[in-house]
Amino acid sequence: MQRERVYRYFALGFLVLLAVLGLVLPTGARSLMIQIMIFGIFAMGYDVCLGYTAQCSLGHSLFFGSGAYACVLSVMHLKAGLLTALAISVGTGFVLAALLGPICVRLSEAYFVIVTAIIAAVFHLLAMDLVWLTGGDDGLCFSIPSLKLGFGDLSLYKPLANYYFVLFFMALTYFVLARILHAPLGKIFVAIRENPKRALFLGYNVTRYKLIAFVVSGMVAALAGGLYALTLRYCSADYMGFYWSVLPVVWCLIGGQGTLVGSWIGVALMSLFQYYVSAWFTYYLLLFGVLVLIILSVSRKGILGYIASRVR
Amino acid sequence: MAENGYLLELKDVSRHFGGLVAVDGISYGVRKGEVRGIIGPNGAGKTTLFNVITGELKPTAGRIYLKGEDITGLPAHIICEKGMSRTFQLTFIFPEMTVFECVWVGVYSRARRPWDLFFSRTDPSGPIAEKAQRIIHTVGLEEKTHEMASNLSYGDQKVLEIAMALSTDPVILLLDEPTQGVGPGEVDTIINLVERLSKEMSIVLIEHDMDIVARLCHNVTVLSFGKMIAEGTCEAVSRNEEVQRIYLGEKIVCS
Repeated sequence: MQRERVYRYFALGFLVLLAVLGLVLPTGARSLMIQIMIFGIFAMGYDVCLGYTAQCSLGHSLFFGSGAYACVLSVMHLKAGLLTALAISVGTGFVLAALLGPICVRLSEAYFVIVTAIIAAVFHLLAMDLVWLTGGDDGLCFSIPSLKLGFGDLSLYKPLANYYFVLFFMALTYFVLARILHAPLGKIFVAIRENPKRALFLGYNVTRYKLIAFVVSGMVAALAGGLYALTLRYCSADYMGFYWSVLPVVWCLIGGQGTLVGSWIGVALMSLFQYYVSAWFTYYLLLFGVLVLIILSVSRKGILGYIASRVR
Repeated sequence: MAENGYLLELKDVSRHFGGLVAVDGISYGVRKGEVRGIIGPNGAGKTTLFNVITGELKPTAGRIYLKGEDITGLPAHIICEKGMSRTFQLTFIFPEMTVFECVWVGVYSRARRPWDLFFSRTDPSGPIAEKAQRIIHTVGLEEKTHEMASNLSYGDQKVLEIAMALSTDPVILLLDEPTQGVGPGEVDTIINLVERLSKEMSIVLIEHDMDIVARLCHNVTVLSFGKMIAEGTCEAVSRNEEVQRIYLGEKIVCS
Protein backbone atom coordinates (compact mmCIF):
# COMPACT_ATOMS: atom_id res chain seq x y z
CA MET A 1 0.00 0.00 0.00
CA GLN A 2 1.06 3.54 -0.79
CA ARG A 3 1.06 4.76 2.78
CA GLU A 4 3.15 1.88 4.07
CA ARG A 5 5.71 2.64 1.39
CA VAL A 6 6.02 6.25 2.55
CA TYR A 7 6.69 5.04 6.08
CA ARG A 8 9.28 2.55 4.89
CA TYR A 9 11.19 5.05 2.75
CA PHE A 10 11.10 7.54 5.58
CA ALA A 11 12.47 4.97 8.04
CA LEU A 12 15.27 3.85 5.73
CA GLY A 13 16.16 7.43 4.91
CA PHE A 14 16.23 8.35 8.57
CA LEU A 15 18.47 5.39 9.44
CA VAL A 16 20.91 6.18 6.61
CA LEU A 17 20.97 9.82 7.68
CA LEU A 18 21.80 8.76 11.23
CA ALA A 19 24.56 6.48 9.98
CA VAL A 20 26.14 9.35 8.04
CA LEU A 21 25.66 11.93 10.80
CA GLY A 22 27.55 9.71 13.22
CA LEU A 23 30.74 10.36 11.28
CA VAL A 24 30.42 14.10 10.82
CA LEU A 25 28.80 15.43 13.98
CA PRO A 26 30.80 17.00 16.81
CA THR A 27 30.71 15.19 20.14
CA GLY A 28 28.05 17.34 21.79
CA ALA A 29 25.57 16.97 18.97
CA ARG A 30 26.43 13.31 18.69
CA SER A 31 25.38 12.60 22.25
CA LEU A 32 22.12 14.42 21.52
CA MET A 33 21.62 12.10 18.55
CA ILE A 34 22.30 9.07 20.73
CA GLN A 35 19.55 10.22 23.04
CA ILE A 36 17.22 10.70 20.08
CA MET A 37 17.91 7.19 18.85
CA ILE A 38 17.24 5.62 22.24
CA PHE A 39 14.00 7.55 22.60
CA GLY A 40 13.19 6.54 19.05
CA ILE A 41 13.36 2.90 20.10
CA PHE A 42 11.14 3.62 23.11
CA ALA A 43 8.69 5.49 20.88
CA MET A 44 8.47 2.73 18.27
CA GLY A 45 7.66 0.21 20.97
CA TYR A 46 5.09 2.53 22.46
CA ASP A 47 3.41 3.02 19.11
CA VAL A 48 2.73 -0.71 18.91
CA CYS A 49 0.53 -0.19 21.95
CA LEU A 50 -0.97 3.23 21.23
CA GLY A 51 -1.05 3.41 17.45
CA TYR A 52 -1.72 -0.20 16.55
CA THR A 53 -4.08 -1.42 19.24
CA ALA A 54 -5.35 1.92 20.60
CA GLN A 55 -4.22 1.26 24.15
CA CYS A 56 -3.02 4.52 25.66
CA SER A 57 -0.75 3.31 28.43
CA LEU A 58 0.55 5.76 31.00
CA GLY A 59 2.64 3.06 32.62
CA HIS A 60 5.48 2.60 30.20
CA SER A 61 7.93 4.34 32.51
CA LEU A 62 7.72 1.13 34.53
CA PHE A 63 9.16 -0.86 31.63
CA PHE A 64 11.68 1.82 30.73
CA GLY A 65 12.86 2.16 34.33
CA SER A 66 12.98 -1.53 35.10
CA GLY A 67 14.80 -2.17 31.84
CA ALA A 68 17.38 0.38 32.91
CA TYR A 69 17.70 -1.15 36.38
CA ALA A 70 17.84 -4.70 35.06
CA CYS A 71 20.75 -3.66 32.87
CA VAL A 72 22.61 -1.74 35.59
CA LEU A 73 22.10 -4.33 38.32
CA SER A 74 23.08 -7.24 36.13
CA VAL A 75 26.29 -5.46 35.14
CA MET A 76 27.04 -4.46 38.76
CA HIS A 77 26.14 -7.63 40.59
CA LEU A 78 26.20 -10.41 38.03
CA LYS A 79 29.18 -9.06 36.08
CA ALA A 80 27.13 -9.57 32.97
CA GLY A 81 28.44 -8.57 29.56
CA LEU A 82 26.73 -5.79 27.65
CA LEU A 83 24.62 -7.96 25.41
CA THR A 84 23.65 -10.25 28.27
CA ALA A 85 22.66 -7.22 30.33
CA LEU A 86 20.47 -5.91 27.51
CA ALA A 87 18.92 -9.35 27.08
CA ILE A 88 18.12 -9.33 30.80
CA SER A 89 16.54 -5.87 30.33
CA VAL A 90 14.29 -7.15 27.56
CA GLY A 91 13.49 -10.25 29.60
CA THR A 92 12.51 -8.08 32.57
CA GLY A 93 10.24 -6.04 30.32
CA PHE A 94 8.69 -9.24 29.04
CA VAL A 95 8.05 -10.68 32.50
CA LEU A 96 6.62 -7.45 33.94
CA ALA A 97 4.37 -6.82 30.93
CA ALA A 98 3.20 -10.43 30.84
CA LEU A 99 2.37 -10.33 34.56
CA LEU A 100 0.76 -6.90 34.69
CA GLY A 101 -0.75 -6.92 31.20
CA PRO A 102 -3.57 -9.36 31.95
CA ILE A 103 -4.82 -6.97 34.63
CA CYS A 104 -4.71 -3.95 32.34
CA VAL A 105 -5.62 -5.02 28.83
CA ARG A 106 -9.11 -6.23 29.62
CA LEU A 107 -10.03 -2.74 30.82
CA SER A 108 -11.56 -0.29 28.42
CA GLU A 109 -10.05 3.03 27.46
CA ALA A 110 -10.04 5.38 30.46
CA TYR A 111 -9.75 2.56 32.99
CA PHE A 112 -6.78 1.18 31.13
CA VAL A 113 -5.06 4.57 31.23
CA ILE A 114 -5.68 5.00 34.95
CA VAL A 115 -4.68 1.51 36.00
CA THR A 116 -1.46 1.53 33.99
CA ALA A 117 -0.59 4.92 35.51
CA ILE A 118 -1.29 3.63 39.03
CA ILE A 119 0.77 0.48 38.57
CA ALA A 120 3.73 2.50 37.31
CA ALA A 121 3.33 4.92 40.23
CA VAL A 122 3.44 2.05 42.71
CA PHE A 123 6.66 0.74 41.22
CA HIS A 124 8.12 4.24 41.13
CA LEU A 125 7.51 4.63 44.88
CA LEU A 126 8.94 1.18 45.45
CA ALA A 127 12.09 2.09 43.55
CA MET A 128 12.41 5.32 45.58
CA ASP A 129 12.15 3.35 48.83
CA LEU A 130 14.45 0.44 48.09
CA VAL A 131 17.52 2.63 48.31
CA TRP A 132 19.86 -0.31 49.08
CA LEU A 133 18.98 -1.80 45.70
CA THR A 134 18.15 1.12 43.45
CA GLY A 135 20.00 4.00 44.99
CA GLY A 136 16.65 5.79 45.17
CA ASP A 137 16.64 9.35 43.94
CA ASP A 138 20.43 9.57 43.82
CA GLY A 139 20.59 6.59 41.56
CA LEU A 140 23.45 4.30 40.74
CA CYS A 141 26.60 5.03 38.80
CA PHE A 142 28.42 2.13 37.32
CA SER A 143 31.18 1.34 34.91
CA ILE A 144 30.47 -0.72 31.87
CA PRO A 145 32.57 -3.53 30.50
CA SER A 146 33.66 -3.34 26.91
CA LEU A 147 31.89 -5.32 24.29
CA LYS A 148 33.86 -8.37 23.23
CA LEU A 149 33.57 -8.91 19.53
CA GLY A 150 35.44 -11.62 17.65
CA PHE A 151 38.00 -9.19 16.24
CA GLY A 152 38.55 -7.03 19.30
CA ASP A 153 36.99 -5.06 22.11
CA LEU A 154 34.55 -2.22 21.67
CA SER A 155 34.35 0.25 24.50
CA LEU A 156 31.18 2.26 24.83
CA TYR A 157 33.20 5.00 26.51
CA LYS A 158 34.16 5.99 23.00
CA PRO A 159 31.31 8.20 21.78
CA LEU A 160 31.56 6.88 18.23
CA ALA A 161 31.28 3.25 19.38
CA ASN A 162 28.38 4.17 21.61
CA TYR A 163 26.66 5.94 18.70
CA TYR A 164 26.80 2.97 16.34
CA PHE A 165 26.00 0.52 19.11
CA VAL A 166 22.72 2.35 19.75
CA LEU A 167 22.07 2.83 16.03
CA PHE A 168 22.45 -0.91 15.55
CA PHE A 169 19.75 -1.57 18.13
CA MET A 170 17.49 1.09 16.66
CA ALA A 171 17.73 -0.50 13.22
CA LEU A 172 17.28 -3.98 14.69
CA THR A 173 14.18 -2.93 16.62
CA TYR A 174 12.77 -1.23 13.54
CA PHE A 175 13.25 -4.24 11.29
CA VAL A 176 11.84 -6.70 13.82
CA LEU A 177 8.80 -4.55 14.59
CA ALA A 178 8.17 -3.72 10.93
CA ARG A 179 8.31 -7.44 10.14
CA ILE A 180 5.83 -8.26 12.91
CA LEU A 181 3.47 -5.45 11.95
CA HIS A 182 3.47 -6.47 8.30
CA ALA A 183 2.82 -10.06 9.29
CA PRO A 184 -0.76 -11.15 10.01
CA LEU A 185 -0.32 -10.03 13.60
CA GLY A 186 -0.08 -6.40 12.51
CA LYS A 187 -3.26 -6.67 10.47
CA ILE A 188 -5.06 -8.15 13.46
CA PHE A 189 -3.78 -5.31 15.64
CA VAL A 190 -5.15 -2.74 13.21
CA ALA A 191 -8.46 -4.60 12.97
CA ILE A 192 -8.74 -4.50 16.76
CA ARG A 193 -7.88 -0.81 16.80
CA GLU A 194 -10.47 -0.07 14.15
CA ASN A 195 -13.29 -2.07 15.71
CA PRO A 196 -12.62 -4.45 18.60
CA LYS A 197 -16.14 -5.84 18.61
CA ARG A 198 -16.06 -6.72 14.92
CA ALA A 199 -12.67 -8.39 15.42
CA LEU A 200 -14.14 -10.40 18.27
CA PHE A 201 -17.00 -11.56 16.05
CA LEU A 202 -14.52 -12.58 13.38
CA GLY A 203 -13.19 -15.07 15.88
CA TYR A 204 -10.27 -13.19 17.42
CA ASN A 205 -9.60 -13.28 21.11
CA VAL A 206 -9.21 -9.52 21.37
CA THR A 207 -7.83 -9.56 24.92
CA ARG A 208 -5.06 -11.93 23.93
CA TYR A 209 -3.94 -9.80 20.99
CA LYS A 210 -4.02 -6.64 23.07
CA LEU A 211 -1.83 -8.44 25.58
CA ILE A 212 0.63 -9.44 22.84
CA ALA A 213 0.87 -5.79 21.75
CA PHE A 214 1.33 -4.68 25.35
CA VAL A 215 4.10 -7.21 25.98
CA VAL A 216 5.97 -6.43 22.74
CA SER A 217 5.74 -2.76 23.60
CA GLY A 218 6.96 -3.36 27.15
CA MET A 219 9.96 -5.33 25.91
CA VAL A 220 11.02 -2.58 23.53
CA ALA A 221 10.60 0.05 26.26
CA ALA A 222 12.82 -2.03 28.53
CA LEU A 223 15.45 -2.31 25.80
CA ALA A 224 15.41 1.47 25.45
CA GLY A 225 15.78 1.79 29.22
CA GLY A 226 18.76 -0.54 29.20
CA LEU A 227 20.46 1.38 26.38
CA TYR A 228 19.79 4.68 28.12
CA ALA A 229 21.40 3.45 31.33
CA LEU A 230 24.41 2.14 29.40
CA THR A 231 24.85 5.40 27.55
CA LEU A 232 24.67 7.57 30.67
CA ARG A 233 26.38 4.96 32.87
CA TYR A 234 23.75 5.95 35.37
CA CYS A 235 20.27 5.01 36.45
CA SER A 236 17.91 6.34 39.10
CA ALA A 237 14.41 5.78 40.41
CA ASP A 238 13.45 8.86 38.45
CA TYR A 239 13.40 6.72 35.27
CA MET A 240 10.18 5.19 36.56
CA GLY A 241 8.56 8.58 37.09
CA PHE A 242 5.44 9.80 35.39
CA TYR A 243 7.43 12.07 33.07
CA TRP A 244 8.79 9.02 31.25
CA SER A 245 5.27 7.72 30.73
CA VAL A 246 4.01 10.91 29.16
CA LEU A 247 6.96 11.43 26.83
CA PRO A 248 6.18 8.53 24.47
CA VAL A 249 2.55 9.65 24.20
CA VAL A 250 3.70 13.08 23.08
CA TRP A 251 6.25 11.66 20.62
CA CYS A 252 3.65 9.43 19.01
CA LEU A 253 1.02 12.16 18.81
CA ILE A 254 3.41 14.59 17.12
CA GLY A 255 4.97 12.15 14.71
CA GLY A 256 1.86 10.19 13.90
CA GLN A 257 0.47 7.25 15.79
CA GLY A 258 0.03 3.99 13.97
CA THR A 259 2.96 4.73 11.66
CA LEU A 260 5.65 3.03 13.77
CA VAL A 261 8.40 5.42 12.66
CA GLY A 262 6.50 8.71 12.70
CA SER A 263 7.30 9.00 16.37
CA TRP A 264 10.96 9.51 15.42
CA ILE A 265 9.97 12.93 14.16
CA GLY A 266 8.29 13.59 17.49
CA VAL A 267 11.38 12.47 19.35
CA ALA A 268 13.71 14.55 17.20
CA LEU A 269 11.55 17.66 17.43
CA MET A 270 11.16 17.41 21.17
CA SER A 271 14.81 16.64 21.87
CA LEU A 272 16.08 19.44 19.63
CA PHE A 273 13.54 21.82 21.12
CA GLN A 274 14.62 20.88 24.61
CA TYR A 275 18.29 21.20 23.72
CA TYR A 276 18.17 24.57 22.02
CA VAL A 277 15.15 26.40 23.44
CA SER A 278 15.52 25.42 27.09
CA ALA A 279 18.84 27.29 27.08
CA TRP A 280 17.15 30.68 26.73
CA PHE A 281 13.59 29.98 27.87
CA THR A 282 12.89 28.04 31.06
CA TYR A 283 9.27 27.38 30.27
CA TYR A 284 10.05 25.82 26.91
CA LEU A 285 7.55 23.01 27.54
CA LEU A 286 4.82 25.62 27.43
CA LEU A 287 5.86 26.56 23.91
CA PHE A 288 6.14 22.93 23.03
CA GLY A 289 2.61 22.27 24.23
CA VAL A 290 1.32 24.96 21.90
CA LEU A 291 3.30 23.43 19.06
CA VAL A 292 1.73 20.02 19.77
CA LEU A 293 -1.74 21.54 19.71
CA ILE A 294 -1.05 23.26 16.39
CA ILE A 295 0.27 20.06 14.83
CA LEU A 296 -2.69 18.02 16.02
CA SER A 297 -5.22 20.60 14.87
CA VAL A 298 -3.72 20.46 11.37
CA SER A 299 -3.57 16.68 11.28
CA ARG A 300 -4.79 14.19 13.83
CA LYS A 301 -2.42 11.67 12.36
CA GLY A 302 0.67 13.68 13.24
CA ILE A 303 3.39 14.90 10.94
CA LEU A 304 4.25 11.68 9.13
CA GLY A 305 0.59 10.71 8.86
CA TYR A 306 -0.07 14.09 7.24
CA ILE A 307 2.78 13.67 4.77
CA ALA A 308 1.62 10.16 3.87
CA SER A 309 -1.93 11.36 3.24
CA ARG A 310 -0.56 14.03 0.88
CA VAL A 311 1.60 11.69 -1.18
CA ARG A 312 0.07 10.23 -4.41
CA MET B 1 -25.95 -32.28 13.80
CA ALA B 2 -28.40 -32.76 16.63
CA GLU B 3 -30.80 -35.71 16.49
CA ASN B 4 -33.75 -33.40 16.06
CA GLY B 5 -32.19 -31.93 12.95
CA TYR B 6 -31.68 -28.44 14.32
CA LEU B 7 -28.54 -26.59 13.36
CA LEU B 8 -29.16 -23.93 15.97
CA GLU B 9 -31.43 -24.59 18.87
CA LEU B 10 -32.53 -22.40 21.77
CA LYS B 11 -34.16 -23.93 24.82
CA ASP B 12 -36.04 -21.54 27.11
CA VAL B 13 -33.49 -18.79 26.71
CA SER B 14 -33.99 -15.67 28.84
CA ARG B 15 -31.98 -12.58 29.40
CA HIS B 16 -32.70 -10.10 32.18
CA PHE B 17 -31.23 -6.65 32.68
CA GLY B 18 -31.98 -6.03 36.33
CA GLY B 19 -35.76 -6.07 36.45
CA LEU B 20 -36.18 -5.78 32.70
CA VAL B 21 -36.78 -9.03 30.87
CA ALA B 22 -35.40 -8.41 27.41
CA VAL B 23 -35.63 -11.97 26.18
CA ASP B 24 -38.24 -14.12 27.87
CA GLY B 25 -38.12 -17.90 27.65
CA ILE B 26 -37.56 -18.30 23.95
CA SER B 27 -37.34 -21.73 22.39
CA TYR B 28 -36.36 -21.66 18.78
CA GLY B 29 -34.78 -23.91 16.21
CA VAL B 30 -33.19 -23.35 12.84
CA ARG B 31 -32.70 -26.24 10.44
CA LYS B 32 -30.04 -26.60 7.83
CA GLY B 33 -30.74 -24.50 4.75
CA GLU B 34 -33.56 -22.55 6.35
CA VAL B 35 -33.98 -18.80 6.12
CA ARG B 36 -35.78 -17.52 9.19
CA GLY B 37 -37.04 -14.04 9.79
CA ILE B 38 -37.45 -12.30 13.12
CA ILE B 39 -39.75 -9.30 13.24
CA GLY B 40 -41.19 -7.25 16.03
CA PRO B 41 -41.61 -3.64 17.13
CA ASN B 42 -38.70 -1.58 18.44
CA GLY B 43 -37.47 -2.82 21.80
CA ALA B 44 -38.96 -6.26 21.30
CA GLY B 45 -35.61 -7.85 22.09
CA LYS B 46 -34.56 -8.89 18.60
CA THR B 47 -31.02 -7.60 18.78
CA THR B 48 -30.66 -8.73 22.39
CA LEU B 49 -31.61 -12.22 21.22
CA PHE B 50 -28.84 -12.05 18.62
CA ASN B 51 -26.41 -10.85 21.25
CA VAL B 52 -27.32 -13.77 23.48
CA ILE B 53 -27.02 -16.33 20.68
CA THR B 54 -23.65 -15.06 19.45
CA GLY B 55 -22.10 -14.88 22.90
CA GLU B 56 -21.88 -11.14 23.37
CA LEU B 57 -24.27 -11.51 26.30
CA LYS B 58 -24.65 -14.56 28.47
CA PRO B 59 -28.21 -15.82 28.82
CA THR B 60 -29.70 -15.52 32.30
CA ALA B 61 -31.41 -18.87 31.82
CA GLY B 62 -31.76 -21.52 29.15
CA ARG B 63 -29.36 -23.30 26.85
CA ILE B 64 -28.17 -22.76 23.30
CA TYR B 65 -26.96 -25.51 20.99
CA LEU B 66 -25.08 -25.21 17.73
CA LYS B 67 -24.88 -28.41 15.66
CA GLY B 68 -26.06 -30.23 18.78
CA GLU B 69 -23.19 -28.88 20.85
CA ASP B 70 -23.91 -26.78 23.93
CA ILE B 71 -22.47 -23.30 23.32
CA THR B 72 -24.21 -21.50 26.19
CA GLY B 73 -21.95 -18.90 27.77
CA LEU B 74 -18.96 -19.46 25.50
CA PRO B 75 -17.05 -16.32 24.53
CA ALA B 76 -18.00 -14.75 21.20
CA HIS B 77 -14.79 -15.58 19.37
CA ILE B 78 -15.15 -19.30 20.17
CA ILE B 79 -18.75 -19.34 18.98
CA CYS B 80 -17.59 -17.69 15.78
CA GLU B 81 -14.97 -20.40 15.30
CA LYS B 82 -17.69 -23.01 15.63
CA GLY B 83 -19.40 -21.62 12.56
CA MET B 84 -21.71 -18.79 13.57
CA SER B 85 -21.32 -15.37 12.00
CA ARG B 86 -23.24 -12.16 12.40
CA THR B 87 -23.62 -8.64 11.12
CA PHE B 88 -24.64 -5.63 13.16
CA GLN B 89 -27.45 -3.15 12.95
CA LEU B 90 -25.04 -0.26 12.57
CA THR B 91 -22.26 -0.97 10.13
CA PHE B 92 -19.39 -2.61 11.86
CA ILE B 93 -16.38 -2.56 9.60
CA PHE B 94 -12.72 -1.60 9.87
CA PRO B 95 -12.85 1.96 8.46
CA GLU B 96 -9.11 2.43 7.97
CA MET B 97 -8.57 -0.84 6.12
CA THR B 98 -9.19 -1.68 2.49
CA VAL B 99 -12.07 -3.94 1.48
CA PHE B 100 -9.56 -6.67 0.76
CA GLU B 101 -7.90 -6.33 4.16
CA CYS B 102 -11.24 -6.38 5.99
CA VAL B 103 -12.14 -9.70 4.40
CA TRP B 104 -8.59 -11.02 4.60
CA VAL B 105 -8.55 -10.59 8.38
CA GLY B 106 -11.71 -12.67 8.64
CA VAL B 107 -10.42 -15.46 6.41
CA TYR B 108 -7.15 -15.50 8.30
CA SER B 109 -9.00 -15.95 11.55
CA ARG B 110 -9.92 -19.48 10.49
CA ALA B 111 -6.63 -20.26 8.79
CA ARG B 112 -4.23 -18.91 11.37
CA ARG B 113 -1.47 -20.93 12.89
CA PRO B 114 0.59 -19.66 15.82
CA TRP B 115 3.93 -19.89 14.03
CA ASP B 116 3.08 -17.72 11.06
CA LEU B 117 1.38 -15.04 13.10
CA PHE B 118 4.56 -13.07 13.74
CA PHE B 119 6.78 -13.42 10.72
CA SER B 120 4.90 -14.72 7.69
CA ARG B 121 4.10 -12.32 4.89
CA THR B 122 0.61 -11.16 4.09
CA ASP B 123 1.22 -11.52 0.39
CA PRO B 124 -1.56 -10.77 -2.08
CA SER B 125 -1.44 -14.31 -3.47
CA GLY B 126 -1.69 -17.56 -1.55
CA PRO B 127 -4.75 -19.51 -0.43
CA ILE B 128 -5.98 -16.99 2.17
CA ALA B 129 -5.85 -14.08 -0.24
CA GLU B 130 -7.50 -16.14 -2.97
CA LYS B 131 -10.34 -17.02 -0.69
CA ALA B 132 -10.74 -13.39 0.32
CA GLN B 133 -10.89 -12.44 -3.38
CA ARG B 134 -13.50 -15.13 -3.99
CA ILE B 135 -15.70 -13.80 -1.21
CA ILE B 136 -15.35 -10.24 -2.50
CA HIS B 137 -16.44 -11.56 -5.91
CA THR B 138 -19.42 -13.39 -4.40
CA VAL B 139 -20.76 -10.20 -2.87
CA GLY B 140 -19.89 -8.15 -5.95
CA LEU B 141 -17.40 -5.68 -4.49
CA GLU B 142 -14.53 -6.74 -6.77
CA GLU B 143 -14.21 -3.29 -8.34
CA LYS B 144 -13.70 -1.78 -4.91
CA THR B 145 -11.23 -4.35 -3.62
CA HIS B 146 -8.58 -1.78 -2.80
CA GLU B 147 -10.84 1.06 -1.67
CA MET B 148 -10.72 2.15 1.95
CA ALA B 149 -13.73 0.71 3.70
CA SER B 150 -14.62 4.17 5.03
CA ASN B 151 -14.85 5.53 1.47
CA LEU B 152 -17.58 3.09 0.44
CA SER B 153 -21.22 4.11 0.16
CA TYR B 154 -23.43 3.09 3.07
CA GLY B 155 -24.98 0.30 1.03
CA ASP B 156 -21.58 -1.04 0.02
CA GLN B 157 -20.49 -0.94 3.65
CA LYS B 158 -23.46 -3.13 4.51
CA VAL B 159 -22.44 -5.52 1.74
CA LEU B 160 -18.86 -5.47 3.01
CA GLU B 161 -20.14 -6.38 6.44
CA ILE B 162 -21.87 -9.42 4.99
CA ALA B 163 -18.64 -10.30 3.16
CA MET B 164 -16.77 -10.08 6.47
CA ALA B 165 -19.34 -12.29 8.12
CA LEU B 166 -18.88 -14.81 5.30
CA SER B 167 -15.12 -14.79 5.64
CA THR B 168 -15.13 -17.02 8.70
CA ASP B 169 -16.87 -19.90 6.88
CA PRO B 170 -20.15 -19.84 8.77
CA VAL B 171 -22.75 -22.59 8.70
CA ILE B 172 -25.27 -20.13 10.05
CA LEU B 173 -25.42 -16.42 9.40
CA LEU B 174 -27.26 -13.93 11.60
CA LEU B 175 -28.11 -10.69 9.83
CA ASP B 176 -29.31 -7.75 11.92
CA GLU B 177 -31.32 -5.47 9.61
CA PRO B 178 -29.08 -5.79 6.56
CA THR B 179 -31.10 -3.26 4.54
CA GLN B 180 -31.66 -0.61 7.19
CA GLY B 181 -30.92 2.88 5.94
CA VAL B 182 -29.91 1.69 2.48
CA GLY B 183 -31.18 3.29 -0.72
CA PRO B 184 -33.78 1.42 -2.85
CA GLY B 185 -31.39 0.30 -5.59
CA GLU B 186 -28.94 -1.10 -3.11
CA VAL B 187 -31.69 -2.89 -1.17
CA ASP B 188 -32.25 -5.13 -4.19
CA THR B 189 -28.54 -5.94 -4.37
CA ILE B 190 -28.55 -7.00 -0.75
CA ILE B 191 -31.73 -9.07 -1.10
CA ASN B 192 -30.30 -10.87 -4.12
CA LEU B 193 -27.10 -11.51 -2.21
CA VAL B 194 -28.95 -12.97 0.77
CA GLU B 195 -31.02 -15.10 -1.59
CA ARG B 196 -27.88 -16.53 -3.17
CA LEU B 197 -26.26 -17.15 0.20
CA SER B 198 -29.31 -18.96 1.49
CA LYS B 199 -28.48 -21.83 -0.86
CA GLU B 200 -25.25 -22.44 1.03
CA MET B 201 -26.07 -21.75 4.67
CA SER B 202 -28.83 -21.19 7.16
CA ILE B 203 -29.74 -17.57 7.70
CA VAL B 204 -31.57 -15.78 10.48
CA LEU B 205 -32.66 -12.30 9.55
CA ILE B 206 -33.95 -9.42 11.66
CA GLU B 207 -35.93 -7.12 9.43
CA HIS B 208 -38.53 -4.39 9.67
CA ASP B 209 -39.76 -4.50 6.11
CA MET B 210 -42.42 -7.19 5.70
CA ASP B 211 -41.95 -7.28 1.93
CA ILE B 212 -38.35 -8.25 2.30
CA VAL B 213 -39.17 -10.84 4.94
CA ALA B 214 -41.83 -12.30 2.66
CA ARG B 215 -39.41 -12.51 -0.24
CA LEU B 216 -36.61 -14.16 1.66
CA CYS B 217 -37.88 -16.16 4.58
CA HIS B 218 -39.53 -19.55 4.80
CA ASN B 219 -40.59 -18.91 8.29
CA VAL B 220 -41.18 -15.86 10.46
CA THR B 221 -41.05 -15.37 14.20
CA VAL B 222 -42.66 -12.38 15.87
CA LEU B 223 -41.21 -11.03 19.10
CA SER B 224 -42.89 -8.60 21.43
CA PHE B 225 -41.56 -7.55 24.84
CA GLY B 226 -39.08 -10.40 24.71
CA LYS B 227 -41.70 -13.07 24.15
CA MET B 228 -42.32 -15.10 21.06
CA ILE B 229 -45.94 -14.43 20.15
CA ALA B 230 -46.25 -16.04 16.75
CA GLU B 231 -44.36 -18.30 14.45
CA GLY B 232 -45.11 -19.69 11.05
CA THR B 233 -45.21 -18.85 7.40
CA CYS B 234 -45.40 -15.23 6.48
CA GLU B 235 -49.09 -15.37 5.57
CA ALA B 236 -50.07 -17.22 8.72
CA VAL B 237 -48.23 -14.74 10.87
CA SER B 238 -49.69 -11.70 9.15
CA ARG B 239 -53.21 -13.05 9.73
CA ASN B 240 -52.49 -13.57 13.41
CA GLU B 241 -54.69 -11.20 15.44
CA GLU B 242 -52.19 -10.53 18.18
CA VAL B 243 -49.54 -9.64 15.64
CA GLN B 244 -51.91 -7.22 13.96
CA ARG B 245 -52.75 -5.65 17.30
CA ILE B 246 -49.08 -5.16 18.14
CA TYR B 247 -48.45 -3.42 14.89
CA LEU B 248 -51.28 -1.04 15.94
CA GLY B 249 -53.72 -1.93 13.28
CA GLU B 250 -51.09 -1.42 10.66
CA LYS B 251 -52.18 -3.79 7.96
CA ILE B 252 -49.44 -6.26 7.24
CA VAL B 253 -49.76 -7.43 3.70
CA CYS B 254 -47.89 -10.41 2.56
CA SER B 255 -47.06 -10.29 -1.09
